[in-house]
Amino acid sequence: MDLVSLLTQGIAGTFAPYNFAVMVIGLIVGVVAGALPGISFVNAMAMALPFTYLMPPVAAMTFLGGIYVGGVFGGSISAILINIPGTPASLPSCWDGYPMSRRGESGRALAIAITASAVGGLMSALLLTFGAPPFARIALTFDQPEFFAATILGIVSVVAIAKEDAWRSFLSLFMGLAVATVGIDPLYGVARFSFGVPALESGVNFVVVMIGLFAIGEVLDLICQRQDQSALGRRRDGGRRAGLADLWSVKGSIARGTGIGCMIGVIPGAGATVGAVIAYGVEKQASGQGDRFGTGVDAGLAAPESAKNATTGAAMIPLLTLGIPGSAATAIMLAALLIHGINPGPLLFATDPRLVYTVFVSMIVANLLMIVAGVAVARGFAQLMRIPPAVLGAFIVVLSVIGAFGVRNNIFDIHVCLAFGVAGLVMKRFDFPSAPLVLGVILGPLAERYFLTSLANHDDRVSVFVTRPISATILAMALAFLAWAMWPRMTRLWRRAPA
Amino acid sequence: MAVSSRLVSVVSAKALVGAVCAGLAAGSAMAQEKFPSRPIQVIATFGAGGGADLMARQMSRLAEPILGVALPVSNVAGASGTAGLTRLLTNSPDGYTVATLIALSVSAWASNISTQKPDDFTIVAMTQDSPSMLFVPTNSPHKDIKAFLEHAKANPGKLKVATSGYGTQDDITLIYLEKLGYKTTNVPFARPAERYAAPIGGHVDAIYEEPGDVAQFVKAGQMRALVTFNDERHFAFRDVPSSKELGMQISDLPNFRTLAVPAATPADRVKVLAAAFDKVLDSPEWKKYCEDTYTCTQKLTPEQAKARVKAFYETVQSYQKRFPDMKKGTN
Repeated sequence: MDLVSLLTQGIAGTFAPYNFAVMVIGLIVGVVAGALPGISFVNAMAMALPFTYLMPPVAAMTFLGGIYVGGVFGGSISAILINIPGTPASLPSCWDGYPMSRRGESGRALAIAITASAVGGLMSALLLTFGAPPFARIALTFDQPEFFAATILGIVSVVAIAKEDAWRSFLSLFMGLAVATVGIDPLYGVARFSFGVPALESGVNFVVVMIGLFAIGEVLDLICQRQDQSALGRRRDGGRRAGLADLWSVKGSIARGTGIGCMIGVIPGAGATVGAVIAYGVEKQASGQGDRFGTGVDAGLAAPESAKNATTGAAMIPLLTLGIPGSAATAIMLAALLIHGINPGPLLFATDPRLVYTVFVSMIVANLLMIVAGVAVARGFAQLMRIPPAVLGAFIVVLSVIGAFGVRNNIFDIHVCLAFGVAGLVMKRFDFPSAPLVLGVILGPLAERYFLTSLANHDDRVSVFVTRPISATILAMALAFLAWAMWPRMTRLWRRAPA
Repeated sequence: MAVSSRLVSVVSAKALVGAVCAGLAAGSAMAQEKFPSRPIQVIATFGAGGGADLMARQMSRLAEPILGVALPVSNVAGASGTAGLTRLLTNSPDGYTVATLIALSVSAWASNISTQKPDDFTIVAMTQDSPSMLFVPTNSPHKDIKAFLEHAKANPGKLKVATSGYGTQDDITLIYLEKLGYKTTNVPFARPAERYAAPIGGHVDAIYEEPGDVAQFVKAGQMRALVTFNDERHFAFRDVPSSKELGMQISDLPNFRTLAVPAATPADRVKVLAAAFDKVLDSPEWKKYCEDTYTCTQKLTPEQAKARVKAFYETVQSYQKRFPDMKKGTN
């Protein structure tokens, strides 16, 4: 069958009333769940999974695809409006999105975020549709050393994006890396820092840490101070709208973010958060206005927004072409397919092209419809922002506790979440950045796993990371990044040193 | 579905209140309460999309009409499945919590990763069982198992085998081969996705896996099988030799999956659950599922299943005594 007739089938499948309806429902569920602090899109997809048993497989995929696309964007709504990322991937959107809201430009920030997300997601869906098999072959040439190098680039980006004080960011990042070592190590089964507590052996989950530091921490901050001083009390909505000229001016940032997102998306394990962080770091360097990043710069919001949504289509490439899910979200999609007795992989293109192309087309359509769903939900959220901070805070605490429990259905995670809430308050009071800590908890276990497996697979030679060309290139980029971020400080130190 | 199950739980909550009140009056009303009268929680001890998760979801979906209550599945992953089993043991042993218990968790107990032991559990259903096999990428230079082993003998440690971790059945099998003079290198990939991609991408030479998990790669011509670690040949891989034909004694490490409740669960409730899951195992839907995944197994009574788990536990322990230098490991 030629591409045109396959696409025609895909379009017919996507716009079949039932498939289309569940996709729209999925989009709305995704954006709302993503925007609620505490409930991430992975939570929402896991909760939605039993509903897909009752649907035909095609509808199950358009439904979950809708939640995925909507949810990855939705997290930015709360990040921009109240400085609480709804999902970990929206963390970088706080850095320039929330300052814009503080200036009273929340409408403009949301417009940039939605546009960038939609463009990133759309490009990624087009890549999925027209380039999946060759892109999957490229992805297969990447091995553990390359994944390790990409994770290191992510870790270095965290330092490179530090606003003022790189040393504090360093310290916060390393605290996160230390927290991430808690639990049974991934290869040798040795329990670390578990102090004999069985619950600690399963480790500390990064979503729980993020909910604690940002959502609970923010509410505690609200409780402890005068209303107008905290992020929840200091809300202003409306303000200047984004014109087409504003959106056009960030096209370069969106293009760079999309490219990075598509590349990171196919790497198993990394996903939207790593893509967004690296995109922010690269953008800070590439945009030429790096010193103003963190004060509410358009480019600083557009790049991570486009990158995180650009991972959605790319992450589905290994799932559909190889049957290999790279992320928690695509693992849930795999479960939905397997429940129906469908094995994704190279055979699926031959046995059920209608399903494959319906998924392709529906991902394209979902990204376009996301603009509508995003605007509608963002409007609703802006209304919600008018309710008194105390009431809003109470809701956030409830949602956070539910979200923390929902990650692994584990009561202990709620305790961890509340403890990190207190830590978040303390860090805020001492002006200590908390985002690097969360990113440390996310990236630490990935780096460790990739590092250990790389060594196991290459005769314990550490040189493998620099002898493989792709891994060496990525590590060189990371080094350049670090030098660039540290250069001003280094020169200052040298000048101060006695000659 | 959700609405109806909520309705069931509201109705059954009332029934439960009634039962508790009656219990206070009569003393032993618990035993007479109709079981099950409220939803039964099914704990999948691994993440969504994995073999244990899918088994839990299929079983719960098919058992719902038989038991007449909802069986919601929740994933409690971590520590080789022992985190979810700990949850099962800390919930009250009233039959309203069921968990997946698989061979990997049992070998983790044997490695002292957890203090759990077979006697802590009652097995209500032996659902799946499969021997493991060694697969290579289709373009591998090793035509058959003999060529593979000869290469291993001539180049000790040069061949890389992707496994699920140290201290697992995978690891024991590779150490067994090493003791026979065929030394390979164990490369653990904790995530199944990465494990399957490694041989297809040419990053390792082979993969140790149960056939159901990689069948699609075999059908798509990306992998081929070298050997089945079992006494007999695999029914779906008739031309692939078994390990016994090669003179190896390594047929006692199959990968089984079960559903379990705490050992303290009342016998009459175990009976109800076992009978219901028994019906599921006989259903055409389940038969198709287990055939598709090459995991169909003989039905066992709870006693037989328990004996099976115990025997496996002791087998792994004895291998660990034989191979004292084995890394502890987990996945």
